[in-house]
Amino acid sequence: MLKIKEESLISEKRPHESGEKHVSGRAYYTDDIPEQPGTLFGAIGWSKKANAIIKKINLDKVVKSEGVISVITAKDIPGRNDVGPVYDGDPIFTTKPEYFGAPLFAVAATTTELARKAVLKAKISYKSLKPIISIKDALKKKSYVLKEKIIKKGEALEAIKNSVNRLKGHFTTGSQEHFALEGHVAFVIPQEDKDFKVFSSTQHPSETQQIISKMLNQKSNTITVETRRIGGGFGGKETQSFIFAAICTLLAKKTKRPVKLRMDRDDDIIITGKRHDFYSEYEVGFDELGVIKGLKLKLASRCGISPDLSGAINDRALLHIDNAYYLENVLIENYLCKTNTASNTAFRGFGGNQGMMAIENIIDHIASSLKKDSAEIRRRNFYQKKKKNITHYNMKIEDNIIQEIFDQLIKTSSYKSRQLDIKKFNSENRYLKKGIAITPVKFGISFTTWHLNQAGALVHIYCNDGSVHVNTGAIEMGQGTYTKIAQLAANELGLPFSKVKVSATRTDKVPNTSASAASSTTDLNGAATINAISKIKKNLASFVKRKYKVKDGEAIYENGLVKFKGKSFKFNSLIKEAYLNRVSLSSSGFYATPKINFDKKKFTGRPFLYFCYGAAVTEVIIDTLTGENKILRTDILHDAGKAINPAIEMGQIEGGFVQGAGWLTMEEVNWKSNGEISTHSPSTYKIPAVSDMPEKFNAEIFKKGKNIENVINKSKTTGEPPLMNAMSVFFAIKNAIASTVNYNINPKLDAPATPEKILMSIKNLKNKI
Amino acid sequence: MTSSNIDFVYQNQIFKIKNPDSNEILLNYIRTKLKKIGSKNGCSEGGCGACTVVLGELKNNEINYKAINSCITFLPTLQGKQLILVEDLISKEGSLHPVQKAMVNYHGSQCGICTPGFVMSLFSMFKRNSKFKDNEIKDSIAGNLCRCTGYQPIIKAAKSLKNKNKFDHFSKNKKSTINLLKKINNKSIVIYNEGKKYFAPRYILELKKILKKNTNSELLSGGTDLSLIVTKERKDINSIIYMNSISELSYIKNNKKYIDIGASTPLIELESYIQKYYPDFTKILKRYGSPQIRNVATVAGNIATASPIGDCLPLLLALNAKVVLQGLKKTKILFLDDFFISYRKTKLKKGQFIHSIRIPLFRNNTFKAYKVSKRFDDDISSVCAAFNLEIVKNKVQSVRIAYGGMAAVAKRAIYCEKLLLNSLVTDEIIHKAKKALEKDFQPISDMRASKLYRIEVAKNLLEKFFAEIKQKKLIGIYA
Repeated sequence: MLKIKEESLISEKRPHESGEKHVSGRAYYTDDIPEQPGTLFGAIGWSKKANAIIKKINLDKVVKSEGVISVITAKDIPGRNDVGPVYDGDPIFTTKPEYFGAPLFAVAATTTELARKAVLKAKISYKSLKPIISIKDALKKKSYVLKEKIIKKGEALEAIKNSVNRLKGHFTTGSQEHFALEGHVAFVIPQEDKDFKVFSSTQHPSETQQIISKMLNQKSNTITVETRRIGGGFGGKETQSFIFAAICTLLAKKTKRPVKLRMDRDDDIIITGKRHDFYSEYEVGFDELGVIKGLKLKLASRCGISPDLSGAINDRALLHIDNAYYLENVLIENYLCKTNTASNTAFRGFGGNQGMMAIENIIDHIASSLKKDSAEIRRRNFYQKKKKNITHYNMKIEDNIIQEIFDQLIKTSSYKSRQLDIKKFNSENRYLKKGIAITPVKFGISFTTWHLNQAGALVHIYCNDGSVHVNTGAIEMGQGTYTKIAQLAANELGLPFSKVKVSATRTDKVPNTSASAASSTTDLNGAATINAISKIKKNLASFVKRKYKVKDGEAIYENGLVKFKGKSFKFNSLIKEAYLNRVSLSSSGFYATPKINFDKKKFTGRPFLYFCYGAAVTEVIIDTLTGENKILRTDILHDAGKAINPAIEMGQIEGGFVQGAGWLTMEEVNWKSNGEISTHSPSTYKIPAVSDMPEKFNAEIFKKGKNIENVINKSKTTGEPPLMNAMSVFFAIKNAIASTVNYNINPKLDAPATPEKILMSIKNLKNKI
Repeated sequence: MTSSNIDFVYQNQIFKIKNPDSNEILLNYIRTKLKKIGSKNGCSEGGCGACTVVLGELKNNEINYKAINSCITFLPTLQGKQLILVEDLISKEGSLHPVQKAMVNYHGSQCGICTPGFVMSLFSMFKRNSKFKDNEIKDSIAGNLCRCTGYQPIIKAAKSLKNKNKFDHFSKNKKSTINLLKKINNKSIVIYNEGKKYFAPRYILELKKILKKNTNSELLSGGTDLSLIVTKERKDINSIIYMNSISELSYIKNNKKYIDIGASTPLIELESYIQKYYPDFTKILKRYGSPQIRNVATVAGNIATASPIGDCLPLLLALNAKVVLQGLKKTKILFLDDFFISYRKTKLKKGQFIHSIRIPLFRNNTFKAYKVSKRFDDDISSVCAAFNLEIVKNKVQSVRIAYGGMAAVAKRAIYCEKLLLNSLVTDEIIHKAKKALEKDFQPISDMRASKLYRIEVAKNLLEKFFAEIKQKKLIGIYA
């Protein structure tokens, strides 16, 4: 059980623990680990057809290509030829490629360049089959990766029928490429026996270990995976890194030499899955005030060729279909579409944001039909504190602060007066139009898969200088988890930050870890660290009590001192003394999230320990001649509980927003009708650049925030939820479009709101008048 | 003097590479031979900025610090320059450079992989401008992508540098660096390495001799397009002639009738020169690509690759530019109109090179240009349009209109022009002119935009042009 003392809560802005190394090029990423002599370099050959049977594959020229040492195919795999995390369906090498980019073989050569040249020399003949690419196609053909789901609460159809107002519509949110600036990379060094040391840019070392051991038919204890840091993850390295680590290990096994496999950016994007795009059809009944009475929804997602994490992602979409709104009667059908595209996967928000966009679009539609300010309709539908506080999956919401955040932000952002200014601007400008919107966020924290909510840690205190070594299952991917865990450890021990070192995450130090995902990395691993420290403290206390006969009561660790009742020690001397008296100064720690309990089949229970809240007001301007758009101003008020490191949380809040804005505006993944992806490089796939951040950007942490649950430092995570503040961008754009018809018609706009979609939306509106 | 060795200045010493592989990419050399791992590989196409390094180039006895993408730079082009990597910003005593310190203090790094690139872009700005404005900050990092921060902390870090003392160890060593650069700045390069040839002549005369014997060579300027043959198509280029060592080809001047631009003048120089003649030209050039690209890319390169989009091309067409081609003996001057044949094909023959470009000065005309793309920074146009009209008493006296992204080559809108010429500008004629564009262009759909959108935008840009004239103001979200 995690013990939290109010007086020991911290809130300390501090630069990222690797900041100085980042800026001077001294931080090692997987590709930067010094290569031993004899290291080989890999490349992957992949399918040029989206759905086919390989009739013949001739690799003679690949084998003979300059610098090539070895070529591997499915035949070289002794064990499981699959990297699927939960279900099978993601072959390492296939002979029946189901998507454009499916790996077929790999080579190891003396340089990366030669390996990449070699794979192009394969002669492959395919028998092409017709691919299914779009969600609509898949629905029509009933092509699914998992069974459909139906969620029911109350009597939705009845409620809709009895409502005074009813609306119908459909809505799409787009896919999104993770585009971590560090692409996929692995580096594998064969060890004695048949062991392998695997360096992988992954969010999930433990599962990398398991997948490799299954592939090789070897015990898990023969594989060690290490990750010091990754150059961005965003969900893209939760499972999608496995195939590269696996292939790299296989190459190392075959050649008996160290092998590095660093993916070319285009290959990386072509081979790996992305965010699920979602298509929804809705029918909603509501009263004259805009309060939703009944909702019928069909929610379908593009999953690609396999289940991967699609089940959990769709579950999270279903669990967030309410966002911050009380839904009394719902009926949801959920379809997980199988398409001949790379298997879509985790991406910051993990389906939650897709579910939330669906309901926000419905709310916006209701507001438009009632000719009311959408902020008002949102407010009227909010969950309340004493009543209307049970979700559609029967969880009672106990920490609801959305109303406070929303109302405070409306004031601080001058939402109402700016609305008037905008209307004035729009009436005076023929071609340029402005729009504004406020959207709320409520996001549930915990893995919806119950057993994943656990973490381990390992803490050592060294006797000669009292320095502290911490190791956990957390992956540092930019979110600052190493910094925050070190802060927590330093605080627990009353030491300066500089005395604590968090070291590279390794499967032989802390086993059976969960992915750094679901925003819960620091919550889980920080708590496990505190647990380990508390065990060492216990050892110290019993030693001091034994030797010095001090009274009972807990010691206070602060400013390098350890104070027992009536006796005080310098931390260093106590540690040394304890060592000389044969006291253990090392401990593992463990944490399992309490309270959660969710029945996935019945879709009922408490999937989340707590909720994060936030809201954003965004003002945009659009050019009605071209559809170009720009964020003029964004105000965010976001709940981080009692933030451990407000500077790092702010980084997540701002960065998440811009990433979300990219998802909803310019980022567009494009497939040709034959299934070939055509957006696979920074020249064809655009993530936000510096000019895309809001011209004015006021982000703030909700000052009164404090986690009511027993979470480290009473903090709340900021990993995923801030991304959803970007929903305000989309609805501000929609608001600007609506102004072209004097807000009389609800514009049809799907995400992403690219210039093209915006222009076409305006055109369609004008045709309706 | 010719040599097969490359000399460059690194850490204030002369570094020599004997007979390098002409296809070797600078980033690869930095990471695998120099064993410096600070510069990162994010895309191998100059699209993300993680590989940004700074080159010090001698100009008028000063060092010009240029940020470039090392992932698309051929190693031999380092000849005669100073190479500065992110590791080199740290002082001898081990303290961080002011730019690095600011990035730490303002939380400018999260995952940190893009950070070295940002540091180098900001360093180049820091060294070049004594007082930079906010928009210069944005421009300086427009070619650096960050997926974590949302850019705000990086902007704050950059702003904090405004009043910082600019004296650093590069300033301290400036004299000796300049002397070293002078020492190595005086030779032409000829490399034969395993069947691959590389030439970097310093004079036109030399260039012609080389061209005569090596007609099948690729002419290399900024290399921002050419290098992708190696990094993306994974092919070798067997013979390269590097144009940018020829100082005779690097100039901009004007004779009151036209602006004359030498072939190897980088776009970044044209962009500031042309501002007072055609401000919209500057506006489009700033969005042509990132500073890393514009620091090395040239107008001649843009013309020679004849991309269907090629942001300069519609502007040059609308301005009725001429291109001066030199062969071994003859010089030919062509209107740009006559230069393009089809998709990526031009009239440039083997043995010929582009010597210069001439942009006429229209004193009585209205020249406007527009670029529409998904992203403002460093994106390829969906549609780019340029209008060059003389309107007297509401009557169109002369008209040249050209579009990029609307056909296999950048192209004039002939039907539209015909309709407008000698017409009075009325809503009706604008409407007809818009309609005429449907005759002029049958664009394609691709990942950037559909044909429907392209034609719609093309029409609307024409409307915008006239609306701006009428309202006497710029209409646009970036205006």
